[in-house]
Amino acid sequence: MSPASEADNAEESKEGASSLLDLPELALECILEKLPPDGLLSMSGVCTALRDRCRSDYFWDKHMKQKWGRVIGPSAYKVWQLCLASRRDNGDSNQGKQKGLLRLFSLVWPCSWAGEKINIGQDQTCSLPHDSSVMSWYIALETGRFWFPAQVYNRENGHAGFMLSCYDAELSYDFRTDAFRARYPPHGRRAIALETGVTWERLRSPPVDTSPHDLHLSDCLKDLCPGDHVEIQWRRNKEFPYDAVVLEFNQYSAGSRWSRTTIDRRNHREEGNEADGFYGGIRKLRTDDDEISVWKRLWPTELLE
Amino acid sequence: MSSSSSSSSSPPCPKKMITLKSSDGETFEIEEIAALQSKTLENMIDENCASTPIPLPNVKGKILAKVVEFCTKHAEAGADAETLRAWDAEFVGVEHAIVFDYILAANFLEIPTLLDLACESVAEMIKGKTPDEIRKFFNINNAFSPEEEEDVRRQNQWAFE
Repeated sequence: MSPASEADNAEESKEGASSLLDLPELALECILEKLPPDGLLSMSGVCTALRDRCRSDYFWDKHMKQKWGRVIGPSAYKVWQLCLASRRDNGDSNQGKQKGLLRLFSLVWPCSWAGEKINIGQDQTCSLPHDSSVMSWYIALETGRFWFPAQVYNRENGHAGFMLSCYDAELSYDFRTDAFRARYPPHGRRAIALETGVTWERLRSPPVDTSPHDLHLSDCLKDLCPGDHVEIQWRRNKEFPYDAVVLEFNQYSAGSRWSRTTIDRRNHREEGNEADGFYGGIRKLRTDDDEISVWKRLWPTELLE
Repeated sequence: MSSSSSSSSSPPCPKKMITLKSSDGETFEIEEIAALQSKTLENMIDENCASTPIPLPNVKGKILAKVVEFCTKHAEAGADAETLRAWDAEFVGVEHAIVFDYILAANFLEIPTLLDLACESVAEMIKGKTPDEIRKFFNINNAFSPEEEEDVRRQNQWAFE
């Protein structure tokens, strides 16, 4: 630090730390911590010293957690890692850009719905991620370039067949509306569906770390007690044996045939078929966070038949 | 360390004064209670080095006067949060060179409340500005190499479309 100046006048002082970069590390860090993401991004474009500091995962981890923590989970992270790997494989060239995105798509969703004729026309102009920093990930999410796996409550907003449901989808953020575009995989005879204007409170990160195409193992059945809340995981493809339990669905009126069903704990098998999906994996809801209250908010206002 | 105005369990002598000496030879008196907001001064007081004027070679008189004012204000009993916040806002409503001096003093004297306040005020100066505006405002030279320049440009393009 340069010595204190003799002339203590009002003109632009060139002594002391008139430069931001002369401030002690702790103070500079304190300032950067207080910046919102766009402030940090601007600062990273000012000079080399600031660029290196502002790209640090330390700052961006906080922003990720704060804004995206609730909807971005391990599944999304895996997809992001694949994006980066694909980018590395294709090299940095612009020609690789377009091919790279198509190849990535089939890598990540290796099932029938990835083979569907999805219009990714708009996506083709999006470049792949810049680097492996959290900052890049944050920007990829904010600009909507990164489609991440999550689950959407009450898909297609109140469509009768989907009340009190939570569906797997791929989401892309629209910063202009502060809402999301959701792509739902094909379901039975339904083709891929697209929904726009999906708001934050309708989203959650997949609570179970399996792809939408693997059956959910009901590992909580031994622990189920009367009064516990559960949700049914709807999956495709395999069958697993379980034990017996009676499930009551209180959103249905008492006389409805949907209000009760018995599951054999020892020999539970999902009902259904390949085309329409299998119904029956049980997942106990956690009491320690909002899960139960979120479902309760979605409770239909009238009893269903 | 507490920066609140409530008294600690073993209160120091009421109105006991400490003398501080700035880099340019000015002396200032501060109540011990107020001085305790500085970890540096607190350590000195604990070790009984506080009887003679404490020399602070890193802090000019002009700035030390303000620091004393800040600590005294924050040590006041019965100050309500709203009034204090308004007072703080006015305290840092000065040109950034002076805020930087506050930061240096708060860092040297280890006064977390002042450091936090001053840093927040600098963050406010940065918010909403483009990289160019930030450079001009803080008089920073753009020292990017051509590769870095290109890298930043690409990144901004990608982020801001």
